[in-house]
Amino acid sequence: MSRFGLDERRLGWLLCAPAVLAMLLVTAYPIGYAVWLSLHRYDLRFPDRQSFVGLANYASVLTSEVWWRSVFNTLLVTAGSVAVELLLGFALALVMHRALVGRIAVRTASLVPYAIITVVAALGWRFAFDPTTGFVNALLGIDQAWLSERWSAFFVIIATEIWKTTPFVALLLLAGLTLVPPDLIRAARVDGATAWQRLRYITLPLMKPAILVALLFRTLDAFRIFDTIYVQTRGAQDTESVSILAYQALIARLNLGLGSAVSVLIFIGTLLIALFYVRLFGSDVLGRAGERR
Amino acid sequence: MSRDVGRFRILLAVILPFLSLTGCERGSDEDATTTLRWYVFKEQSGAFEQAAGRCSKASGGRYRLKLEYLPTDADLQRELLVRRLAAGDRDIDLIGMDVIWTAEFAEAGWILPWPDDRANRVRAGCIAGPLASGSYQGRLWAAPFTTNTQLLWYRTDRVSEAPPTWDAMIDAAESIGPGGLIQAQGERYEGLTVFFVSLLVSAGGSVLDESGRRVSLETGPTRRALEVMRRLARSPASDPSLASRREDQCRLAFESGDSAFMFNYTYVWPSARANAPEVAEHMGWARWPAVDPSRASRVSVGGINLGVGAHGRHPDLAFEAAECLASEQNQRLAARLGGLPPTLSKLYDDPEVRDVFPFAEVLRATLADAVQRPRTPLYSDISIAISRTLHPLSEIDPERDVERLRQAVRRALNSEGLL
Amino acid sequence: MSGKSVETQGSLSERLFWRFTVLVLVLYALLPVAWLTSLSLKPAGDLTDRRFFPRTISLEHYAAVLTDPQFPAALGNSLGIGLIATGISVALATLAAYAIVRLRFPGRRAVLIGALAVAMFPPIAVIGPLFDLWRLLGLFDTWLGLILPYISLTLPLAIWTIAAFFREIPWELEQAARVDGATRMQAFRLVILPLVAPGVFASAILVFIFAWNDFLFAAALTSTTDSRTVPVAIAFFTGSSRFDQPTGSIAAASVLVTLPVVALVLVFQRRIVAGLTAGAVKG
Repeated sequence: MSRFGLDERRLGWLLCAPAVLAMLLVTAYPIGYAVWLSLHRYDLRFPDRQSFVGLANYASVLTSEVWWRSVFNTLLVTAGSVAVELLLGFALALVMHRALVGRIAVRTASLVPYAIITVVAALGWRFAFDPTTGFVNALLGIDQAWLSERWSAFFVIIATEIWKTTPFVALLLLAGLTLVPPDLIRAARVDGATAWQRLRYITLPLMKPAILVALLFRTLDAFRIFDTIYVQTRGAQDTESVSILAYQALIARLNLGLGSAVSVLIFIGTLLIALFYVRLFGSDVLGRAGERR
Repeated sequence: MSRDVGRFRILLAVILPFLSLTGCERGSDEDATTTLRWYVFKEQSGAFEQAAGRCSKASGGRYRLKLEYLPTDADLQRELLVRRLAAGDRDIDLIGMDVIWTAEFAEAGWILPWPDDRANRVRAGCIAGPLASGSYQGRLWAAPFTTNTQLLWYRTDRVSEAPPTWDAMIDAAESIGPGGLIQAQGERYEGLTVFFVSLLVSAGGSVLDESGRRVSLETGPTRRALEVMRRLARSPASDPSLASRREDQCRLAFESGDSAFMFNYTYVWPSARANAPEVAEHMGWARWPAVDPSRASRVSVGGINLGVGAHGRHPDLAFEAAECLASEQNQRLAARLGGLPPTLSKLYDDPEVRDVFPFAEVLRATLADAVQRPRTPLYSDISIAISRTLHPLSEIDPERDVERLRQAVRRALNSEGLL
Repeated sequence: MSGKSVETQGSLSERLFWRFTVLVLVLYALLPVAWLTSLSLKPAGDLTDRRFFPRTISLEHYAAVLTDPQFPAALGNSLGIGLIATGISVALATLAAYAIVRLRFPGRRAVLIGALAVAMFPPIAVIGPLFDLWRLLGLFDTWLGLILPYISLTLPLAIWTIAAFFREIPWELEQAARVDGATRMQAFRLVILPLVAPGVFASAILVFIFAWNDFLFAAALTSTTDSRTVPVAIAFFTGSSRFDQPTGSIAAASVLVTLPVVALVLVFQRRIVAGLTAGAVKG
């Protein structure tokens, strides 16, 4: 027994090792390096002027109006898109669950937004809202330069995000919906429960885990939004997200020190969000999240 | 267990050849002729390809120029090149450099200074504005190849003559009513900085002092430039999409016929003739209007200079090729085919070139005293700082923004703070 | 799945209502795709006509995109990088998932939770360090430079989905094979792998979609046709003049890269859904 156990243990580690190493290679090591970089003045354009600056980069970022505005923007997009996605996704899940005709059609069609390249989706919507090439203004009979104004630009960005990820949310919720036993619903109906009561007291509580998982993943996903904003405004009109900001500092300006400070702060932000959910819903949210991914 | 290891080996054996695929490709075209890679924006007419072909041929088989295209957007071009240069890429032999990169690339050691004898040949006969754009701290870093600057384009059927000043122009546009829109670049990007710098210098100011290390932005001229921008943005004659307008959207809008004025580069002329002949028929041109009636306008110079990559394997050949590309006959070719204004003064008297640029005189005069955007290695940061502070133009407050602008540029100069 | 619909089969009007809802949803999902297609078919002169449908159909943008060297190269890179990353990621994940589900060893839960943490990791946080490392190691602008991050970041997804499928397998079959004298490897290969193959395939599709979709890494770590992938090529498309946005070409390229994905989704929708919600059905 013990010999077999040892063998099993070693085999287990051996089989997991490549995957674990591969995951660490592109996360743990670079994030450590990012921390080191963030403590230095390190601009690839002026390699001679490299020096240790302590927390100066963080001070510079945290006192910058631009950083806080981008934090606000990111949270705005996150809250706006996740809230709507959850509602729409729930409706979509109900339809997929109940529709007799065309269930496959809906499911297949709703996978298209999930599978399409984000950049392509973002371009499609950008062209649609563009005053010179787009059909939206002609359709609505207005003359609005959507992407050249802050709030309307946010509207387009959030709409793109919602379009792109609602199906994913819907599928997760659908999986939860199938867990609700039909008999329970039928019994409640016989007992005279209204549709709202059935939803409120039976369906929703049973679906709570699925909802939490969808919420967690979408929040973290929305928080790192990059592609859509990059393609639609490149951060103009004060629509910069924190990821756009980091990219600009790192890749466009090659200021690796300052950019890494932003990166590390984003990493901490992600941790805080995950922690927030764990606090709010108990630690098994993580276990459930994995279960359902 | 050993079986598992065996499987893993097989897996590796399958995967590894794929992984090395990319490594093999590069070395394979080694023969007697050296391939020089020329990174440059994609010029649609094929003038660059033809010039490259001519020079390759003239070299008698010593080198062959291969074009590598950069993205459309100027910011993206720089972003991409800078990343490769920082990565020490040895494949970059020649660079078609936007005029604003000279100081940054030179300071970072990504390009080589031109040797004296070649530099002197390149300098001969070159118009002052374009020549200065390729120079930094007394040396020539990039040979002027094609240049460009903006003119004021206007509808001769809606205004009798080009207005002398900005105020006069906005007044004229407002009195036209429908069909009197003004097209300018108000998007938050390089074009906005170009716009501001041109206005600022026209008003008698400058962004940095002579040394290029300290902020200048004198109060009087800066405020005047901001007032002009604000008045334009708030005028009913301004295009409602001003805040997202780049050069090409301006061109399209002008071609659609509802505008009376447009600030844009010379490529709009052949484009209008091809796409909107009824507009082209009534298209007039002039130097930019003045900000201050007593001072002629000054306009930023643009265009492409030829730099030689510092990590390239064949710098001598690259210089030779660059000199050939920038020669009189290739500049004429680029002008004739691609509508790209030459940097050599005498070409503006050439009948063939005059045919392409009926506005040759105005163009040459504007170029002769054209404005250089701040010549500092931190230019791209400064440009972002400027366009960020001033966008959207309609919300400029000249009182407050002079100081904000100074602050932003100062931070950029110190390479601190986010932009 | 859920079998019969939960509530009523419905009257005619109710059925019509559902049919209408389904139609609306399908249109909603396909709208941008249809729009890009129509844009890509408009001749250059009609691009600014602001109509949804093209007045005349022209294939000029497709011709332009396919004869331009950038796009076909990017397509090749995307396919190559995506397939290699998918193959390796799924292979590593299958091994790990097998161990996690089937073997008892300390740390298996840690592997799962660690994978989850990686799934939540913000990629932007490692772009800077990776760029600096890759330029020193010579991996900048190479296939390998993208394959490595794609493997790492898709492993969590692959491990979790494949593990979920492994949990559904009747393990008595493996036991029986072992009793019949098969080695662990033989039992795995001959009995287990065929059973779990659909799950592995489903997760391979998801991993491939991830790699195919990525923009951030490809934008930061590549720069030429040597390794630039489709999303970056489309976003950075070279226009005809310096100041010109090649709308038509972008639309055509977008359609060309979207159609195969739509086809993939059509053919494998059941598996993709299974992969996305793996484990949820079991509860």
